[in-house]
Amino acid sequence: MTHRERWVRVMHFQPVDHIPDEEFGAWNENFPVWQEQGLPKDVNNNSDFDRYFQFAPRSGIPANVGLSHGFKSEVLEDTDQYRIYIDGNGVKQQVFKDGSSSIPHYLEFPLKDRKSWEELFLPRLEIELESRYPENRSDWEQIKARYSDPGWSIPVGITIGSLFGWIRNWAGFEGVSMLCYDDPDLVKEMVSHLAALISKVIHRAVHEIKIDYAAGWEDIAFNHGPILSPKMFREFVTPNYRRIADTIREANPDAVIYTDCDGNINDLIEPWLEGGINGLFPVESAAGSDPIAIRKKYGDRVVMLGGVNKRALIAGKEAIKEELERIKPYVDEGGWIPHVDHRVPPDVTFENYVYYLHLKREMFGIPHPEEFESRPEIKAIKAKWKGVL
Amino acid sequence: MADLEGIAENVIRGQAPKVKALVEEAIAENVNAGDILREGLIKGMGVVGEKFKNNEFYVPEVLIAARAMKMGMELVRPLLADAGVEPVGKIALGTVKGDLHDIGKNLVGMMLEGAGFEVVDLGIDVSPEQFISSITEHEVQVIAMSALLTTTMPSMKTTIDAISEAGLRDNVKVLIGGAPVTQKYADEIGADGYARDAASGADQAKVLVGVA
Ligand code: B12
Repeated sequence: MTHRERWVRVMHFQPVDHIPDEEFGAWNENFPVWQEQGLPKDVNNNSDFDRYFQFAPRSGIPANVGLSHGFKSEVLEDTDQYRIYIDGNGVKQQVFKDGSSSIPHYLEFPLKDRKSWEELFLPRLEIELESRYPENRSDWEQIKARYSDPGWSIPVGITIGSLFGWIRNWAGFEGVSMLCYDDPDLVKEMVSHLAALISKVIHRAVHEIKIDYAAGWEDIAFNHGPILSPKMFREFVTPNYRRIADTIREANPDAVIYTDCDGNINDLIEPWLEGGINGLFPVESAAGSDPIAIRKKYGDRVVMLGGVNKRALIAGKEAIKEELERIKPYVDEGGWIPHVDHRVPPDVTFENYVYYLHLKREMFGIPHPEEFESRPEIKAIKAKWKGVL
Repeated sequence: MADLEGIAENVIRGQAPKVKALVEEAIAENVNAGDILREGLIKGMGVVGEKFKNNEFYVPEVLIAARAMKMGMELVRPLLADAGVEPVGKIALGTVKGDLHDIGKNLVGMMLEGAGFEVVDLGIDVSPEQFISSITEHEVQVIAMSALLTTTMPSMKTTIDAISEAGLRDNVKVLIGGAPVTQKYADEIGADGYARDAASGADQAKVLVGVA
């Protein structure tokens, strides 16, 4: 069974030899910390991370559904104490140079009203294909041929960006909240424009290449639930997801469409389903999105990627084992690729992560990758566990 | 007749221009500024806080209500001193060092103002030294800290320790909150109060300054 077949079968609740070996990566802060704990010095980012642990890959179709060209990054003020600049999203921000902090302070968001939407954003969101696909037609033909080869063994997907999330990034959270009340027609128009653009761009790709999944993001929930009401989400966003989903499913009725949303998403699942989104990622257990409760409530209407409580990895081996045992019967039903419910934070030790991965591979029959197992630091860690395993 | 009930009602519905008009009307009719504040603005925000706690209101509804409240507040504030109305208390509020999440912190600020507090907003990425300065400069009774990252939470402890070292721990109460923060953590680091949401934060603050 190839990784691609396995991925597709799991997502359709069909039997497999084992679940796909996927994980969501770590914070950037983890690399220096873990290097102190045994991770080799040349593992410095999430692509190194995936290669090091030998996770299963994905293949993405290069079609840009976002801004066709970013804002010009520009320094507006540069003093001894601070620098004020505009980034690629048009957001004005300030960083301090006194060494007290490296985090930017947001000063101003570019999307404020109809005028700024029309002047700054519409020209970057023109509904055309030219600038959104590889420049050379032959590059595209090559990608098409590669992904359409029946022997292609990696899951093929496309990104569908974001509807509300993008507007939030451009207007700021408070800005978009006010707009929803001050100029609801504008918000509807913007979301609908994004949906039209995204549908148009992916239409070609999904008709020319058979995709296994489409992935978007929203990030509009926090620990107590959605940031905006499900009612408002239904009114402004759901019908527009429907358009995108229809474009995809008209080409491949079986495609999984999932969205990335942290936090407590329980009240958003229904509106997403109404809009044709049937996949959840990363199912942040720690924030109240319990994957088992979701499974019990929605059955096979919803597939999940993620859902392993990161707090168990912080707590230690006992908790990791308990957490994996808790989810196992449900993962075995299919429709769920378990991995940590967000990027692994630096308060998880390298050893705990290796333990988690070992146990997960063991419990779900995932073959232990040879190269990884033969690494001296991994052997050293595992030697310590004699008796525990 | 001044319509204090209407002011509260329009704060709840986030109707800033209506709140402004009604407050102007009340002022013109010589209604006591303290009554406009308490019976109108604060009463309205109190209902908003309750609705937010119960998931009837979400963040956007709170934001537009707070905007309406502020509009009324601006008109009333200059009159409060003459009317002999003191703020319920004075609080410095900030997101801790290394952390830029401010949506929750801002909501807490709005609820505190809505409950009659004077709020000194220190912004984001606030160092222990900045919190300490607010005690000496603004004579606040409460320090309220927000943290959204497990990695910045420890800065709450650092700040409390620094306040103690500066010999100011008896001068202020410390209130903390934010998604990863718990009552247990508050107890561990010796904070005086914790609340899980902005509206409960304002309730807690009242307890801390002894007006609840
Ligand atoms: C929006 C958001 C952002 C925005 C912030 C915009 C802004 N201006 O604030 C952006 C995109 C900038 C951002 C950046 C980052 N984020 Co962020 N972010 C979020 C998100 C999705 C929502 C937070 C939010 O606004 N919630 C809405 C408000 C209303 O809720 P709240 O803040 O919890 O506040 C309520 C209560 O907690 C309480 N409260 C809050 N403060 C206080 C204070 C007091 C005194 C009291 C009484 C009560 C109280 O009252 C509020 C209202 O009821 C959360 C997800 C989550 N689960 O929380 C992640 C989250 C907090 N972010 C996270 C991360 C990792 C980051 C980044 C490090 C990502 C990165 N790699 O760059 C950076 C951090 C930058 C930095 N140094 O701070 C993680 C933290 C994980 C962890 N282990 O700590 C989270 C949990 C996401 C996740 N699932 O992993 N983020």
